[in-house]
Parts: sequence; C-alpha cells; structure tokens
Amino acid sequence: MAAQMDLVEIKRQLCGIVVLCRERGLAHSCKWASELAFCLEPLPLSKLPPPAQFTEEDAQDLDAYTLAKSFYDLKEYDRAAYFLRGCKSQKAYFLYMYSRYLSGEKKKDDETVDSLGPLEKGQVKNESLRELRVELSKKHKAKDLDGFGLYLYGVVLRKLDLFKEALDVFVEATHCLPLHWGAWLELCNLITNKDMLKSLTLPDTWVKEFFLAHMYTELQMIEEALQKYQSLIEAGFSKSTYIISQIAVAYHNIRDIDKALSMFNELRKQDPYRIENMDTFSNLLYVRSMKPELSYLAHNLCDIDKYRVETCCVIGNYYSLRSQHEKAALYFQRALKLNPRCLGAWTLMGHEYMEMKNTSAAIQAYRHAIEVNKRDYRAWYGLGQTYEILKMPFYCLYYYRRAHQLRPNDSRMLVALGECYEKLNQLAEAKKCYWRAYSVGDVERMALVKLAKLHEQLNESDQATQCYIIYIQDVFSCGEILEHLELSTAFRYLGQYYFKSKRYNEAFICAQRCCDYNDAREEGKALLRQISQVRGEADPASTDLSLPFLYGPLSATNTPVRRMSPLNLSSVTP
Amino acid sequence: MASVHDSLYFNPMMTNGVVHANVFGIKDWVTPYKIAVLVLLDEMTVSKCISLLEKRRLNKLILPLLQGPDMTLVQLLKTVEDCCPQLAYAVHLRLHLMADGELKDMESFFDVLPSPFNETESEAHKSSVVGLFMRHMVLAYNKLSFSQVYKLYKALQQYYKSYERKAPPASDATTDADMEQLAPDSLGRKVEKQDLDPSPSDDDVASTEPLSQKQAEYFLAQQAYFLKNDENKALKPAGLQNELNNMLKFNPDFAEAHYLSYLNSMRVQDVFVSTHSLLHYFDRLILSGSDSKSNGDEGYGRSLRYAALNLAALHCRFGHYQQAELALQEAIRIAQESSDHVCLQHCLSWLYLLQQMKGSDSTVLTEHSVKMAVHFSLPYLASLGIQSLVQQSAIRGKNAKKLINALKDTDILHWKHSMSELIDISIAQKTAIWRMYGKSTMALQQAQMLMNMNSLESVNLGVQQNNTEAFTVTLCHLAELHAEQGQFQAASEILKHLKERFPSNSQNAKLWMICEQKIQFDRALNDGKYHIAESLVSVISALCKTEGLYRKALVLKAQNQTSEAYQVLQGLLVYCEKTKCTEMTIRVMLAIAELYWRSSSHGIVLPLLLQTLALSREHHLQKLASETVLHLAFSQLMLGIPEQALNILHMAIEPILAHGAVMDKGRALLLVAKCQVVTSASVPADQRHQALVVAIQNLEEARSYFDKVDCRDRVRDIFYLQARLYHSLGKTLERNKCAMLFRQLNEELPSHGVPLLTRL
Repeated sequence: MAAQMDLVEIKRQLCGIVVLCRERGLAHSCKWASELAFCLEPLPLSKLPPPAQFTEEDAQDLDAYTLAKSFYDLKEYDRAAYFLRGCKSQKAYFLYMYSRYLSGEKKKDDETVDSLGPLEKGQVKNESLRELRVELSKKHKAKDLDGFGLYLYGVVLRKLDLFKEALDVFVEATHCLPLHWGAWLELCNLITNKDMLKSLTLPDTWVKEFFLAHMYTELQMIEEALQKYQSLIEAGFSKSTYIISQIAVAYHNIRDIDKALSMFNELRKQDPYRIENMDTFSNLLYVRSMKPELSYLAHNLCDIDKYRVETCCVIGNYYSLRSQHEKAALYFQRALKLNPRCLGAWTLMGHEYMEMKNTSAAIQAYRHAIEVNKRDYRAWYGLGQTYEILKMPFYCLYYYRRAHQLRPNDSRMLVALGECYEKLNQLAEAKKCYWRAYSVGDVERMALVKLAKLHEQLNESDQATQCYIIYIQDVFSCGEILEHLELSTAFRYLGQYYFKSKRYNEAFICAQRCCDYNDAREEGKALLRQISQVRGEADPASTDLSLPFLYGPLSATNTPVRRMSPLNLSSVTP
Repeated sequence: MASVHDSLYFNPMMTNGVVHANVFGIKDWVTPYKIAVLVLLDEMTVSKCISLLEKRRLNKLILPLLQGPDMTLVQLLKTVEDCCPQLAYAVHLRLHLMADGELKDMESFFDVLPSPFNETESEAHKSSVVGLFMRHMVLAYNKLSFSQVYKLYKALQQYYKSYERKAPPASDATTDADMEQLAPDSLGRKVEKQDLDPSPSDDDVASTEPLSQKQAEYFLAQQAYFLKNDENKALKPAGLQNELNNMLKFNPDFAEAHYLSYLNSMRVQDVFVSTHSLLHYFDRLILSGSDSKSNGDEGYGRSLRYAALNLAALHCRFGHYQQAELALQEAIRIAQESSDHVCLQHCLSWLYLLQQMKGSDSTVLTEHSVKMAVHFSLPYLASLGIQSLVQQSAIRGKNAKKLINALKDTDILHWKHSMSELIDISIAQKTAIWRMYGKSTMALQQAQMLMNMNSLESVNLGVQQNNTEAFTVTLCHLAELHAEQGQFQAASEILKHLKERFPSNSQNAKLWMICEQKIQFDRALNDGKYHIAESLVSVISALCKTEGLYRKALVLKAQNQTSEAYQVLQGLLVYCEKTKCTEMTIRVMLAIAELYWRSSSHGIVLPLLLQTLALSREHHLQKLASETVLHLAFSQLMLGIPEQALNILHMAIEPILAHGAVMDKGRALLLVAKCQVVTSASVPADQRHQALVVAIQNLEEARSYFDKVDCRDRVRDIFYLQARLYHSLGKTLERNKCAMLFRQLNEELPSHGVPLLTRL
C-alpha cells in the first residue's frame, strides 16, 4: 500500500496543510508537515496547490484576523481573542477559541507558581475549559465544526479528563481532516493498548501509515513499527528526518545500539542543528561510554540552545559519564524545571542519585517518573535497584516484576529477578528466571553463567556443564570477549567436570583454554598435570584434539577482537 | 514531542530533587474561612456587649474553630449564632462589607488586626493560643505575593457569595436546569455536574471538591478510624477509593492517602491494589522521613524496616505464607542490622502469628515474644502476645486456672494503660474460653459484660460501641448460647442486630454467617428436616471446611447413609488429629461412636468412648466430657448393665443440667429414665412401682426440654415410653392420653426407620 503512494499528490496536500496550520497557529503540526514536505521533490509551479478559497466571511474577518494573528504570534492570547470575538469565518473562529484555550493554559501554569497553599497547587484548573466545552459542544452538535474545530474540542475534552468522548472526537477529526498531524498525535496519547487501536475506524490515507508506525513505537511493538517505517522510506520518504529520528528511537527502544547510533549519526549529518531526540542519542553514547562523542554533542547542543530540555539531558549524561554526579543531577533538575513532565529526566536523575548513594532522593525521582508515565519500565527497574542496594531483596521483587511486566522480553529485569530470588534462596525460581532471561536473548550474557553457578551450587553438574557450554558457544559466536573472568570460570569448571567423568581429551582441551587466562592459569596447569599423570603420558602438548562442540570458539579466541567505534560505521539502512 | 498542551505540573518548590510541600515552612495558609475566624476573634476582643455566659460559650468554641477543618460560612455563622446571636450578626456584617467592598477593605483589615494583642492585658496575648494564631495569620498574609493577595480576595468573595446563594435556594435550581440542558449524555453528565458546579458543596466530607490540607487529614483519620472500629460508618469501598483517587490527583504527595487506599483494598481483598498502595505509601514515606532533618538517617531507615514488615503483614493477611515469611525475614534482618529492638519485637509477634497461621506450634516463640515485649516495655505487644498464648494453650488443653489467671493479669495491664481495644478482645476471649470449657453461664456473663460496657474510645467520635471483631465474636457466642437454650427468637434477634451492624460485605461478616448457619442447621436436624440441613451444609463448607465436613457427616448419619458418613468422619478425624483440633476430634469420635451403635456393636464403642472421655477431661472440655459420659452410659445400658450406667450418669447429669444445652438436658433425662426403667425390672414390685413413677417424671421433664427445641421426633418417643409405663402401672387414662398424642405425632412425622431404642 505504501509503495503506491502518489508522492506528487502527497506533496501537494502537505503544502496545503502547512498553510492551513500556520494560519491557525498550530506550530507543531505545521512543523511536522513542513518537515515531510521538505523531503519530497519540489513541485513545479503548475502543480503547486492553489491558495485556499477566500469566502465572503473570510474577507470580512480579514482585518480582525490579521491583527489577532499578530497578537497570537506574540503570545498575547487574551488580546487576540478579544479582537476575534465577533468573527464568523471558520479560521477566525478557530483562532479565537484556540487563543482562549491557550490563554487559560498559560494562566494555569502561571497560577501554579503562586498558589495559596500546598494542596491548592494541584487544584489549579484551566478556567476557560468549561466554557470552551459548552460552546464547542453546541457547535459540535450542530455539525458546525471543521477538522481543526474538532481537534480543539477533543483537546478540551481530554483536558477535562473525558477520555472516551475525546477519543471519539479525535477520530472524527482525523476523518474530517486527515492531514492534521496534531489530531493523530492526540489520538496516540489516548490509545493505551493494541485492542483499543484495532477497535477504531480510522480514515484510510497515507497519514495513517505514519500514525500506525508512531503508535507501534509507543506500544513497544518495535518490529511492526520498523517495518512500517521501512515501507514508508521505500515509498519515497527516504530523506525525511522525521522518519530517521523515529527509526533511531525505535532501535534505541529495542537496544539495538549500533543501528540506533548509525541512524542518529545520519540524522545529525542531515539536520545538524536539531535538538529533538538528541537526549536519546546521548543515552546511547552513554551506554557505549563514548566520551569524546558525547562531549562533542554536548558542546554542540549547548552552542545551539542551552535552555532546552534535551540539551540539559545531554549535558547531564555527559557529566554522569565523567562520574560528576552532582553536576549531572543539577542538569537533570534544570531539564525538569524547563519541563516537569519530561519523563527521561526524572529517571536519569534517579540514576544519578543512586550513584550518589542518595537512595531516598532516587526513590522520589523514580516515583515522579512513574507518576508521569506508569509504563516507564526504567523507573520501576530503578526503584527495584534502589531497594536492592538497601539490601531488601524481597521488597524489590515487586518493582522488578512490574518492570518485567512492562518489558516481558527484556533480559535485564529477568536477571535482576533471578538475582533477588537467589538472595532469597528461592533457587528454583531463580533458575527459571535465568533460563527465561537466556531464552529471550540475554543482553549482558550473564544469565547463563549465573544459571550454571546455581546448578553448580545444587550439585547438578550435568546441567551446569550444559550451561557453561552454551555460554562459551554464545560468547565466541558473537566474536567478542566480554568478560574473561567468567570464561575462565567456565573452562575451569568444564575441565574439572570432564576430568571427573574421565573424558580426558575434553578435559585436556579445557585445561589448555584455562591457561589462556591469568586467573585460571595455575589451575589449568595443575589440571593438565593431573591429566597427564592419569594418562601416563609424558608430553601433554603432543595431543592435538579438538572438540566438536568447542570448535568454533577455539578459533575465535585467537583472532584479535576488533571493536569498531559505531560512530565510524557507514550509515546502514535497516 | 513536548506539545504546548502538555499540562505543566510546574513545581517551583523543588530543590535538590525533593519537593517541599511547604516552601515557606508555614503550615497555615490564609483561607477565607480563616479570615472569617479572624473577624470573629477581632469582634470578640472589640465588642463590649457580650454577656458572661455567651463569652464562656464562645471561648469554648474557639479551639475547635482554630484546629478543625475549614467550614462553610453557613456552618460557621450557625455555630457562632448558637453561642451569641449578635456577634454572629456582627461577623456577618463585617464579612459582607469586606466581600462587597474592595481589595483595600481586606488589606486594611489585616493592617489593623495586630493592634488588639499589643496591649499586655488583652485577652489575645501574644503567646496565647489565639494570639499565636493571629500572628501566624498575619505573617502568612504578609508573605503572600501581589497576585496571591488578589486571589485570596477573590476566594473570599466566592466564599461569601456561596453563603448568600445558600440562603435563597431558588437561584440554585435555575443553574441546575442549565446544566441538565448542557449534558449531552449520561456519562458526561456526572463529570459535568462536578465540573460546572461552581459552588463548593462542603456539607459532607465526601464531596468531590478538592479538600484543604486539614480537611484531607481529618477525612483520612476519620475513615481510618472507622475502618478499624466501625466499618459501617466508613464510606463504601468503591466510594472511598474514588475519594482517595481524587485526593491523590490533586496532591500526589499526600502519602497517607495511599495507606488508606491499602486498608481499603484489604477490605475487598484486592491483592493487587493493596500491594501497590502499600509500596507507594512507603516510597513516599521514605521521602518525608529523609526530609525531616530531626531524625535524619534514622527516620529513613526506620520506615524501610517497617515497609518490609508491613509487606509481610499484607502477605500474611492474604494467606501468602511463603512470601510473608520472606518479607519478615527481610524486615528482621534490616532491623537487626540497625539494632532496632522495637521493630524486632513487632517482627517477632508477626513471626509467631505466621507460625500459628501455618498451623505449627509457636508457643515458644510467643512466650519469648512476650518476655521481650515486657523487657522493652511495649505493653500492647506484650498483652497481644499473652492473649495469643492463652488462646493456643487453651486449645492445647493447658491448665485452665493458669490461663484465666494470666488473662486476669493482662486485664490489669490493659486497664492501667487504658487499651480499650485489648480489653474488648480479652473479654471476647474469655467468653470463648468459657464456652469452650462448656461453662455456658460464665460465657454468658462475660458476653453480657462486654455488651454492657461502654468502650473507652466511644467518647471520641460519637460511636456508641465499637463494631470490632471482638464484638462480633461475642455477639455470635451470645446468639449460639441462646439458641442452645431454645430461645430461637432471641437468637434471631441477635443475628438481625449483627446483620445490621456488620453488613454482609464487611470484614467481620463471615463470623456471624457461619454462626447463623450453624444454628439453622441444628434446628433443622433436631426437627428432622434433613433436606434443609443438607442444603445448609454447602454454605457452612464454604465458610469453614472442617465444620462443613462434620455437618455433612451428621446429615449422612441422620439419613442412614452409614458407610458414607463413616468415611467422611474417618477422613475428618485424621485431619483433626493432624491439626490438633481437639474439640472437633472429640465431636467426630462421638459421631463415630453413634455410627457403631447403628450396627449394634456397643462393645466396640466402649474403648473409643473412654478415649474420648480421657481427651475431653484432659482439655477441660466439660460439655463434651458430659456428652461422652452420656454416650458411655447409653452403651452400658445397651450392653445390659443399667446399674453401671446409672452410676456414671450421676457424674454427668449435674453439669449438664447446670450448663448444658436444652437438647443435652432432654437426652440426659431420657437416658436416666430409660436406665431407671430397666433397673426397676430387677427390684421388688413395690419399689418397682415407685421407680417407674420417678421415670415417668423424668420423661415428663425431658419432654418439656425437647418441646423447647421443637424436637418432635423425640417427643414422640417419649410419649410412646410414657404410654408403655402408664400401661404397666395400670393407669389407663394417662396411658390412653399418651397413646393418642403419640398417634397424632406419628401420623405427622415420617418414620426414618431409626429404632426407638438404639439412639441416645
């Protein structure tokens, strides 16, 4: 479906909607549409959309509208609304209502600062919402609202916590004016699960594809989202910075760090002054400990605009990587002052407090993050970690479980759960967790070692051996040596195991492998000696056997590991 | 994508990642209500025309006004009017002038306010409660920013207007009608009403308007108190949850609300929400704990320990014993690390409770707990421990004297520390113990004592008597005791009362439900309505498994399904012996003995009955012991040694007549009569005649008892026996009368084929 998109038609539509949105002061939708329009081929003069039809009403309201729009652009909403009060045309009416709405919102935010008491702080309401709702509902009943009007009505309803009604109105708005991205975005905020998404009847346009892709990302259905974006790129939106950024975020969400990093680098190349999503980029750089790149990014963003939430987050990450946690926390706080509903900053601040061993502040930060978004698994995970640090393994189980529920296929939660169960001596549960962590694709490759050690502890040597073997295969097959210590442990155990079960050839090879590692060298040698004693052979080195099961790994160890900086990778389209 | 529409919960009060709810360190904020109170105080100091009586009344009013939650102006003026009408008018007038005037009126009011307490001999001296309050208010007012002052004035106008609107109710109706028109659908209507209704409806606490800090605190405290003591008065679970959610929406930092939410969801057995709320509460508490610098790290660690402990308690309540144990271990470990003995003590008491719930012997633990609690002078925990210990020991058949003595000693402790809750529990426990021992009179007396005792806490919130678990237990015992005596009317009255006080969805409802079912079951069984009894069994089983099984066996036995009954009883016996449930064991053994009679194997029964007798004596269960003696005597009678039977009957007849149920009395007398008749066969004729007369008298008495409990089955038997006896005495008239009555009953009642003589 995406392949058959008529790019020229889409471009025309986009050009049209850009104008409409700009006239109504809908900056974000305008930005989105322009961004998309920019990535498509420019149209010849003949194909350009004709300017919107000018009705008699429009002409009448023109002066008032022009004046009010200039006030609106200067954020003088009340003033704008005042001059628009008698206007009949749709455009002027929308601007009138929207100004009133924004004025109410602005006042609400200002009010919050000087409220009359601690409890009143949450009681500050946008006073104009009720009136707006009454007026809009009358118009709505009379079918007098155009797409933008419906959108505003929906926003008002959502603000009044009438989510069900809001949802219906937004769906109507998308039918009425599918090109208005704002309505889709609002819809996104209201949809909480897959079934809800399926139950809606949405207009069948190309915008829906964008919406679905966005929705899938929100619902953590990353595979589907990536597929959608891929098909959109194939359909001709390959230059769109919007899509690139969305794909990068999606990769970030499934922790495909290399791909995400390459996408972000591509994005930076195309749009060097972009600030949006850069906090996500910095998270990735942080995870990879790429100090110089992060530092460069931070300085660059600081040059562009230092009072942006994203900038503050990036700088916070930078300081965190340099282990200057107080400063990092300070920057996250600054980010939160700029936008208290910035989820990532709350969580990151929690991490910083954890580093500073200020557990109570960390708990507070995480709780705030959860308040902003209940589905933030990182905050739940962080809470779990906090309590684990406080040596309350049972208590933190609950938090890890919550995190696990939200990300059933994330091995980190499972490993954390397993560790807790291990501490509580619930070994059967722990085993289950580790095994599950391995089966969903262990990121840190620790689950198997832990599982093996558990088996070892329970004297289940066969299972332990199995686990170590899979672990070794796993580690070598991906071509990098992550932790020498665990590998040596694995070999040491395997050597002993084979020796005990009198499979000397295997034991011999394992012992040899042991000698590759500093901490296991002595034991390896001792084992070799033992083997040679038992065999009664003089020269242990003469045997040259290879184990079929370890065949791959053995050759892999000898090759030098190449670690390429992801920043140097060429851009790969997924 | 941060859109413009994102609601900004902008919080300027945040420093260092911690939100200070109270940025200026002022607890009191100037509200319109406070202004009204200030006006009142000002008027009181200024005006000269207040009589002494009125003055006294007003002075008594001041403290509640200062400390209570905000009231509407209507309520305030009404309270003042009750004390002193002209002062109420003066306050009203000044508020009217202020609200109808300009901002400067309010400003000037605060300007002149400090003057009265500058004079040293003024009643509102600086350091007095009133002076302090006024100074607080002036300080708070002076700290307000320009826009806040304006807002306050607006709020004052609103406050006054809502008072004026209340007076003529006609205007209200029109706005209501407007709203009806606006509401487009039923779902939207409710929300709309809340949203569009500008007047704060503070009449009831359960309004949807946001509450002020004090109101919220009061609301939480009240609801929590009700939940604990009198669930009926608390809001319904759903309503309460709504209210809490509302409160939390407005102030997410209000941690106590989470705790109440936990309690509330415990009420409806919602594991998920209660865990969530509990943990949320402690997450919040940990913050506030670290916030207060007074106890610093100590306070923070402390709440951590109690968090783990509370989690253990939660799992315990839901019967997740394994989890509870893990959580408890954790709490104990943390408490040990920080050597918090009080917390450890709490852990210990939960530990023995957990052991008890799991059915293992926790006597040693409990004893230890009591000792430690005494050592750390925690009277509450100590007496809880003693009570628990007494309960366990009573069930295990420990020395009764010592137990009662221990209870008496703890009672002294309770009264000393006026722990009314524990006093209630103690009395309830005594009732139960006396009842278990089979001393119904003593049980009755204890129950009556609790009923007639005014609780110490009753003064607080106008609750006449606390609807606690102790009360439920006692009332249930009372109902059963009455039913035993055949006073079914009284029993059903009590049950009706119980139903009113503890509606069927409340926490303690299970107790009276099973009690009611048991009474009905006994009646149905006595009356021979086995089908009714059978239908009741399933209900009882749902409430209590062992009891249900036992009753099922009884029904089966009554319906002559001997082998099925025997199977059930055998299974039950094994189970009871495993769980050391002596009372039930004895009852089951007696039932098994009765089953043996059916097959006329009276010889086999004897060792079983002797074992039962030993067991019941060992556990001081007098009622069951007497019943066993009855069984024993009956067996002996059937084995042809009536003299022996009569001998041992003398042991039992006294306690049965003193304490036993009506049914037992009847059965005992019937048995005595039977024995007398049989023994009379071997004595000379003249003595024999006398013996038969005595037997007839006994039968007569037994009949009166059976009549009381509607046991017409047995009444019929008695008529038969009496007719035979009269016949042998040659009293034809009486014989004919009895025979006729027998005939009547025999036609009414179905014959179940249980031979007359082969049952007790």
